[in-house]
Amino acid sequence: MNDVFLLARTYVATAIRERVTLFWFLIFPVFLLVVLALIFGRVGQEGEINFDVALVNQDAGSSDPVGFAAMVVDVFDGLAKPQVERQEPLFTLHRADQGEDPAEFLDHELTSLRRGRRAAVIVIPEGFGSSVFGQMASSESEGTPLIVYMSGTSVASEMAAEIVGQVLSGIDREILVRAGRFDPADAVTAETVWLGGGDDETLYVDFLLPGMILMGFFVNGLFGVPGAILFNRDRRILRRYWVTPVSVPRYLAGFSLGHLALCGIQFVFLFLLGRYAFGATVSFAQPAALLTLILGAVTFMAFGFLIAALARTANAGMATANILNMPMMFLSGMFFPITGLPAFLKAIVYVNPVSYLVNGLRVSLGVESAAFSPALAIGVPLGWIALSALVASRKLKWDVER
Amino acid sequence: MAKSALLRVSDLVKHYGDVRAVDGISFEARTSSVFTLLGPNGAGKTTTLEILEGIREPDSGEIEVFDVRLKRITRAVKQRMGVLLQDGGFEPYLKVREVMRLFASFFESPVPIDEVLSQVALTDKAGALVRTLSGGQKQRLAVGAALVNDPELIFLDEPTTGLDPQARRNIWSIVSDLKGRGKTIILTTHYMEEAEALSDWVCILDHGTIIAQGTPRELTQDFGEETMIEFRADELGSGALEALRSCCKDFRIDGATVTMETEDLPATMESLFAWSREQDVSLRNLIVRQPNLEDVFLSLTGRRLRE
Repeated sequence: MNDVFLLARTYVATAIRERVTLFWFLIFPVFLLVVLALIFGRVGQEGEINFDVALVNQDAGSSDPVGFAAMVVDVFDGLAKPQVERQEPLFTLHRADQGEDPAEFLDHELTSLRRGRRAAVIVIPEGFGSSVFGQMASSESEGTPLIVYMSGTSVASEMAAEIVGQVLSGIDREILVRAGRFDPADAVTAETVWLGGGDDETLYVDFLLPGMILMGFFVNGLFGVPGAILFNRDRRILRRYWVTPVSVPRYLAGFSLGHLALCGIQFVFLFLLGRYAFGATVSFAQPAALLTLILGAVTFMAFGFLIAALARTANAGMATANILNMPMMFLSGMFFPITGLPAFLKAIVYVNPVSYLVNGLRVSLGVESAAFSPALAIGVPLGWIALSALVASRKLKWDVER
Repeated sequence: MAKSALLRVSDLVKHYGDVRAVDGISFEARTSSVFTLLGPNGAGKTTTLEILEGIREPDSGEIEVFDVRLKRITRAVKQRMGVLLQDGGFEPYLKVREVMRLFASFFESPVPIDEVLSQVALTDKAGALVRTLSGGQKQRLAVGAALVNDPELIFLDEPTTGLDPQARRNIWSIVSDLKGRGKTIILTTHYMEEAEALSDWVCILDHGTIIAQGTPRELTQDFGEETMIEFRADELGSGALEALRSCCKDFRIDGATVTMETEDLPATMESLFAWSREQDVSLRNLIVRQPNLEDVFLSLTGRRLRE
């Protein structure tokens, strides 16, 4: 057993002593966690965040018997004013100047949204007020909806979308109450949950931390495994082992143990950082979460073996890992939700084991709702492990070819 | 009484595609001796060794080692042998002591690590990372890793290639020391002075076959009473040198070095001096010597070892 343990120790020592490896395995995930948490970590904590939102009222001139459009404007105006002394308002509201052409203003604001300077652009279309009035009079008629423009690439926009959605449903209810069609007393009270606003808040860092930990495991497996095996093979380090009585299975046992130990170190590192530097509240001390973490580490390690088996050289292995790295990481919901993707990208999400593991881990921690059935969440990663093991056992070359 | 053979190889064959890298090699290495495979690059030395080290399987042939007949080297055999690979690497971020501990863990009864470290003169470097070692130190570490199980049979594949003269001497003294302790050493080299200095038995390989074998003395004695005369003549054209051909048994020019082979040294020397006065050339670096293994190889193949 001693040889297996020492091989594991070799793997860990090598990874930690080599600066480049150390950077990618520990520093990079930590760096990303710090950056993302600093940028978005305070999102949802009222008073400390501020979204730039544009409001375009195209219904200002038209006849609106009750003044619904003005009501919507009032609501957002309210949100743009500080609610408590010395606190920043939730929104900074951008509106057309007096006499400015609404269409021109809208164009300008949509450009700003695309460039990330606005989190959302809300448009009250012409005829909105009368349409709402009409709806109140006869329940059949189709209403003219408010239009909310969001940026699909901005996390701030995702957050703002959530909040704007809540605000609009509040307005909606208010309209129904005024129409006498809705009695608040009878209603199932739909509590508005402000992100980070209550006591049982889900901090962004709680959402982010599990993703970061799995990203660490992922990078570790995708680059670390083929890197270590192929470089050691090509530099004839492995060959030196093969002239001793040590066998490939024992080497593999030591290697895997070392790899999982490195993932463990990574986990502890990121967890402590998340908890004590960013105030993460999630607890990983539950069987489902721990099993998902282990399943993740093993799946990504197996994936690394798959790459090592298919690549002829270490450089080819690294190139393959590089090509797979970004799409697998970003088409997985690791950093942001994956709704609204075109079908062909969705297909990648569905075969990508990262998707299942990230969602599975977050579900087990209670920071996200389940996007896949439990059978799939476990079955897809296990399928990848089986496939990788099969290919690696047939194709992986343990010694340099002549 | 002759010592018994620790390793016996018969009719070893290994192909790589159409190339017969090892083409029916047979030899035996006696206990407590240095057995050397000498030959140019591509002669089949390394392939033969790789088969005996257990990292390649022969296409055919038989190996008898430690009195057991085998088709291929087993793990039990590996427990009793030590291997220095020609181009093996070490984890660069492991410390010398950690490397030794790791290799010791692969064997059932390793020797204490400090003992091995002092044997290869790396005690001072025990805490150093492999990547900080010099070429000679790395090679001594490799030798140490090959000795960690106190093996009876030791393979050293080109142990001094690429080393400076001092580092080469260090390895030579370790090899002599091992032989003194009763170990059997299988050595490959393409340095004829190394083969001459260390070997009890030399096997000369070319194109995957053995073309001659014997003790270094036996092999060079096959030249009979011949003597070699060597000098440098970089300023002369080949036309002027051709005149020398008639006054010796064999004559060759290798770069700037002229080598003459003669059975009548006084007569040849006289002719040479007469020729040098006539041509008005100085015989720079003139050496008169006995034939060496290089000459043997050359006379057998028409080529030099280090080509």
